[in-house]
Amino acid sequence: MHRNRIELCKKHLIFARDVNHFIISSMKRLTVIGIAAIMSVMSLQAQIIEERQQADTSSVKARTAVVEGDRMNQGIPETPLKSLSGQVAGVNVSTDGSERMAMLNSVRVRGTTSITGGNDPLVIIDGISSDLATLSTIFPADIASFTVLKNASETAQYGSRGASGVIVVNTKRGNAQKFSISYDGHFGVESIYKSLQMLGPEEYLSTAGALGLNVKDFGYRTYYPDIVTRPGLVHNHHLAFSGGNETSNYRASIGYADRNNVIKGYGDENLVAKLNINQKAFGDLLSIDFGMFGSSHKIRDLFDYQMMFYSAATQNPTCPTGDAAYENWVKNNTAAYINHPEILLEEKNDEKGLNFNTHLKLGFDFTKDLRLVVFGAYSYSSVENAEFCPTWVWAQGQAFRKEAKTENILGNATLSYRHSWGAHQLKASLLGEYQRVAGSWFQTRVSGFTSNHFHYENIGAATSRPYGETQSFSDNSALASVMSSLSYSYDDRYSVTLTTRADGSSMVGDMHTWGFFPSVSASWNIKNEGFLKDVSAVSQMNINAGYGRSGNLGGISPFSTMELMLPGEVVPYEGSSTITLNRMRNTNPDLEWEMRSTFNVGASMGFWKNRLALTLEYYYSKTTDMLYQYDVPVPPFKYDKLLANIGSMSNSGVETGVIVTPLLKDDMELNISLNLAWQKNRLLSLSGEYRGMQMSAADIVPVGSLIGAGMNGGNNNILYQIVGQPLGVFYLPHCTGLRVDENGNYKYDIKDKNDDGSIDMSDGGDRYIAGQATPKVTLGSNINFRWKDLDVSVQINGAFGHKIYNGTSLAYMNMSNFPDYNVLKEAPARKIVDQNVTDYWLEKGDYVNIDYLTVGYNIPVKARYVSSLRVSASIDNLATITGYSGLTPMINSYVFNRTMGIDDKRSYPVSRTYSLGLSIRF
Amino acid sequence: MRKISAISAVCILMLSGCLSEDSRSYLTEEQAFTNSQNLYINSVAFLYGYIGGSSESQGLQGTCRGVYDYNTMTTDEALIPIRGGDWYDGGLWENMYQHKWTEDDATLYQTWKYLYKMVMLCNQSLSDLEKYAHLATVEEIGQWTAEVRAIRALFYFYIMDMFGRVPVVTEVDISVSEVVQSERSEVMRFVYDEMTAVLPYLANQRSNHIGRYYGRITKPVAWFLLAKLALNAEVYADDDWTDGIRPDGKDITFEVDGIEMNAWQTCIEYCDKLHAFGYVLEPIYPDNFLVHNENSLENIFTIPLDNDLYRNQFWYLFRSRHYSHGGALGGASENGTCATLHTMNVYGYGTEEVDARFIYNFYAGEVFVDGNQVLLHTGEPLVYMPMEVKLNLTASPYEKTAGARMAKYEVDRKSYSDGRQPDNDIVLFRYADALLMKAEAQVRNGEDGSEAFNQVRSRVEMPMKEATLENIIDERLLELVWEGWRRNDMIRFGYFHKSYDMRTALPEEANAYTTVFPIPSRAIDLNPAHKQNHGYKD
Repeated sequence: MHRNRIELCKKHLIFARDVNHFIISSMKRLTVIGIAAIMSVMSLQAQIIEERQQADTSSVKARTAVVEGDRMNQGIPETPLKSLSGQVAGVNVSTDGSERMAMLNSVRVRGTTSITGGNDPLVIIDGISSDLATLSTIFPADIASFTVLKNASETAQYGSRGASGVIVVNTKRGNAQKFSISYDGHFGVESIYKSLQMLGPEEYLSTAGALGLNVKDFGYRTYYPDIVTRPGLVHNHHLAFSGGNETSNYRASIGYADRNNVIKGYGDENLVAKLNINQKAFGDLLSIDFGMFGSSHKIRDLFDYQMMFYSAATQNPTCPTGDAAYENWVKNNTAAYINHPEILLEEKNDEKGLNFNTHLKLGFDFTKDLRLVVFGAYSYSSVENAEFCPTWVWAQGQAFRKEAKTENILGNATLSYRHSWGAHQLKASLLGEYQRVAGSWFQTRVSGFTSNHFHYENIGAATSRPYGETQSFSDNSALASVMSSLSYSYDDRYSVTLTTRADGSSMVGDMHTWGFFPSVSASWNIKNEGFLKDVSAVSQMNINAGYGRSGNLGGISPFSTMELMLPGEVVPYEGSSTITLNRMRNTNPDLEWEMRSTFNVGASMGFWKNRLALTLEYYYSKTTDMLYQYDVPVPPFKYDKLLANIGSMSNSGVETGVIVTPLLKDDMELNISLNLAWQKNRLLSLSGEYRGMQMSAADIVPVGSLIGAGMNGGNNNILYQIVGQPLGVFYLPHCTGLRVDENGNYKYDIKDKNDDGSIDMSDGGDRYIAGQATPKVTLGSNINFRWKDLDVSVQINGAFGHKIYNGTSLAYMNMSNFPDYNVLKEAPARKIVDQNVTDYWLEKGDYVNIDYLTVGYNIPVKARYVSSLRVSASIDNLATITGYSGLTPMINSYVFNRTMGIDDKRSYPVSRTYSLGLSIRF
Repeated sequence: MRKISAISAVCILMLSGCLSEDSRSYLTEEQAFTNSQNLYINSVAFLYGYIGGSSESQGLQGTCRGVYDYNTMTTDEALIPIRGGDWYDGGLWENMYQHKWTEDDATLYQTWKYLYKMVMLCNQSLSDLEKYAHLATVEEIGQWTAEVRAIRALFYFYIMDMFGRVPVVTEVDISVSEVVQSERSEVMRFVYDEMTAVLPYLANQRSNHIGRYYGRITKPVAWFLLAKLALNAEVYADDDWTDGIRPDGKDITFEVDGIEMNAWQTCIEYCDKLHAFGYVLEPIYPDNFLVHNENSLENIFTIPLDNDLYRNQFWYLFRSRHYSHGGALGGASENGTCATLHTMNVYGYGTEEVDARFIYNFYAGEVFVDGNQVLLHTGEPLVYMPMEVKLNLTASPYEKTAGARMAKYEVDRKSYSDGRQPDNDIVLFRYADALLMKAEAQVRNGEDGSEAFNQVRSRVEMPMKEATLENIIDERLLELVWEGWRRNDMIRFGYFHKSYDMRTALPEEANAYTTVFPIPSRAIDLNPAHKQNHGYKD
């Protein structure tokens, strides 16, 4: 281990000790209560599940994972996805590493199931199929519960869309009798606590001088982190009204959130309004549920994360700042990958989004046993993107505008029947559903500005609107489904459920329009057996198992199966330029559903009135007919890729949960919940037959590489997709240590793995599989303590067994680009003049992160109108305990794309958020 | 349960009717071909969009890591040295220069796929022209079919030149098993026969002038290619290029207008046709490379470039010049390509007798833009150091400045994409080359080639020289530097696999196996019947 890492480790250890001390002392001082959160998983009641699941038996419900409202308002509630993080075993919430402000914007349920697409779980909000983007605009305070469906029998009910898990979100409804008004608000400050330590201006100049390198001293002394960052400011407000009576009630709410993050000028805003009305009519025959919500959000994002943070770290620190940055600064054209960080702040990458959703649900209870639900939903969303690069950054400047709209209409009818006789209970249901999605977009990119004043607001001010940069597009697709379900249970002890769903899609090949997704599950409630009934120590015990198939169409887009001609090349024709129509891809008319088959078996137990609860679950799933862009030979194909259903991939894992309530008194309660998930992914095969031809993808495919000075397209690949391995492994040359060269500089000594006498850095050369990017084990833990009206809650998440490629240190510790690019403080002394990619900078990614610590106080009020008053204080992202030497180990470790597992000069400075919250109920 | 199934079945039947997609953003084939005009545009004209390119490995010239680089950075003409952290690129350029490419090189496979994509698009067009023949007259269909076959023959020429034993595919709907390699001599014959078969149907027009035939394959373009093929016939007719024995050009015969001729006579004949058509040397050498070079009387086949009208790009100036030089011109640049020491020596750089074309083809020493001296970021003047070039310049005081840089083309100050999208049309075939080909063929045929040879020299007011093979190969470098022919020339002269410039021949290279690139290993994986070229790993 080299010096800086040791130092950093020491730092972390000290830090860790501090944190432990802090926690321990907090524990001593405080006593608490809480709700056995996982208990709710086990004792989940029917009302928070949609009718669709009501067709399910109560016994399998125990397998679902629910996060309820109480746990959603801890820390500073930014997005509902954050509330989900660490709460459910097997569910990983992360950033996808590329877009949207380092915000949590991706969810993986039990791993990655497809290479091509559709890995985000299906989101169902109040019965409307939706997506993560829409979910992230909903105010956490409006959410009653999250239910994450992971098991075969649950996801199979969502047929072709269920393969990647399902998040069912139920928003809050009006309460039967009570009138209430509530206000929730938070105010917080974000503050950077860790950034890269690069050479300061004086050190920079003296180092260059000592090395005999020419460097320009612009005369300024600049510390870039101070120039591009600021203390962030976050505040949000939420107001809800509800009321009603036995037959009708309503709930209306409005929320506003504003976040100005730690990079100057960047942040986001969100406004949400929501209305729900429930009414009963004709006695109990008809129940009406009407709801609508709309949201409007704005995001001011960085245009190029890497260039911003790469520049802030490595720009010559003597450069002018302020107005002088624009006037007196001359770009060092040798340092092509970076720019003046302050000028980069002038780049714009803005997004405005608008969502409108409405639904109407009519429930007819014909008899006690027979119920018909007719449901219709409409949603509309529009996203506008606007980008601008001023002439200081891009020669001639550039502006981009895009507008995309999606309309989604869904209608379904469910007939359900339930009947009990003696110890027997039977439930059956039949669902018919039809959904149509229409999307369209328009975009244009222009360049050639003579003034930077216009930003993207007047694209007419640009000189050039080149061919191919103005485009529009529209598509539409339809999905029809029929589902039947039958379940039987005997004596509340044994139950079995069978479901079959048939989905028909317009997107698959004509031969495969319909996909069938059956499932079966069974459960045994042991607690109700004679031998356990009277054992009071055991409060709950059951075992269950299930098998089911679900599908995924995420890798296919509309028109994929049709051979189509689209505008392609532009050529001279009769003396003028003319657009031609071309076939731009190989077409596969046989595309079909990706199929995921899952088997799971599990048990849940509660002891001593559930003061100790345990859950254990094993699952194995296999994706077959996996969609992938397979390599095909040219000739006879025109293009080298063909989207086809060939390969397979497996995911398996064990998930455990423990909840202990060691203290449970009137004025004191302590709950500790912990979930651990072991997850194992394996890419089984990417070869098979297509129309009598043996087809395969390369066994070793590079996915992620380093980008930066001297890295252009060489052997700088880091992350690979390798058949027989988990998706996303590091495949690297092995560095045996540093070796001194004739100039006294250090180079990475690369091992000749295949002993052929030469070092081959290319794929398949002297490289080996050095680890995986996805954590093998993840941890989520919540500690909740209440003493009288005071409560403390801590959320701790962790991940283990994975690696991170520290490309940032590889670049910033390398002297070969100095002084065009500044380096880390330790770099001159270490004298590494080498930027070969080796496993030297592959580090363990294990971490434990304290996501938040919240201390709340419910002020006892005796006021006439105020029913409750609560104040809270939180610290988000309190501390990270890790051996990783880079800025933060919390990079994209879950989403399989080019950023996965690679820390490549684009990490946000690490910040904490200190916030205060206020909740009043009237 | 049965009832449920029955109801399900009925529902499925009902719902299936609603499952359709309506495309408004694409057209189907039937919608794209409706009259003779769009039949021509969408089956013939579109192919010309791929002669040039705007992304890596695409286009015969213009972008990086494609046909041009494999014919230039592998030779004694030019290289991209490693400049500290820049241009290492995993050893790509270094390996090109040292001939250490392998069958696994991704860029080589990209190049293979580009060339064969064009072949398959041509085959598709031929099928479309046949299927929709009723939309145009018999005469039109005949001409268009000829034009597509000519484009295909052009691409087979490049494929054969680079990869040797390659499959000849002439249909669009065939299975992998039907794709089998032909011997190199067979591919050469295929190219020759195809080109001569379609010649009568090609337009007897200039291709480089704006108008109806701009950028298209016309008779002169075909003549030039046939001359080029004949000149290299000794190389192309050699099915075992590692045995040290080449067939004699005098024994290789072609039929030209019904008359049998040997390779050299064939070459001369087609060069003469160009002269008879009216091609002449532009009086002023650099005029062929002006921003508006569409009026050149010398250029035969060009890739049309225009900032706003077309997408083709030309990266070579951008890739060569120093960052500050690019900055001074109002864009960026990559500080890469430079001339070799060999090129500098042939040009007589640093001597009393520098070739007149030196100043047109290179930037060396100090550089001025708009009368202002180009300065480095440190404030010192930028000075290109032609003789300081090394394969690896890391830690050299001239790391960023060594090497004479590419000029040749006039700088288009209004070009977009940091200077990668200028208006200069890229010159692929040029009459000066035809003259030098003629001179060489004459010499090889035992005749005197001085007349044609010295026409080229006297245009730039260089003294007359005897047309010997040694003088001709040097003259080709002087005249045609940066034009992508050097590998072809060196192989023909037998220099390519020898040590030259700063390059030491590879130990196993004596048998000249490197004169043909390997069949990319991925192409063999996907079509296991393919056999690897001599000297490379199967």
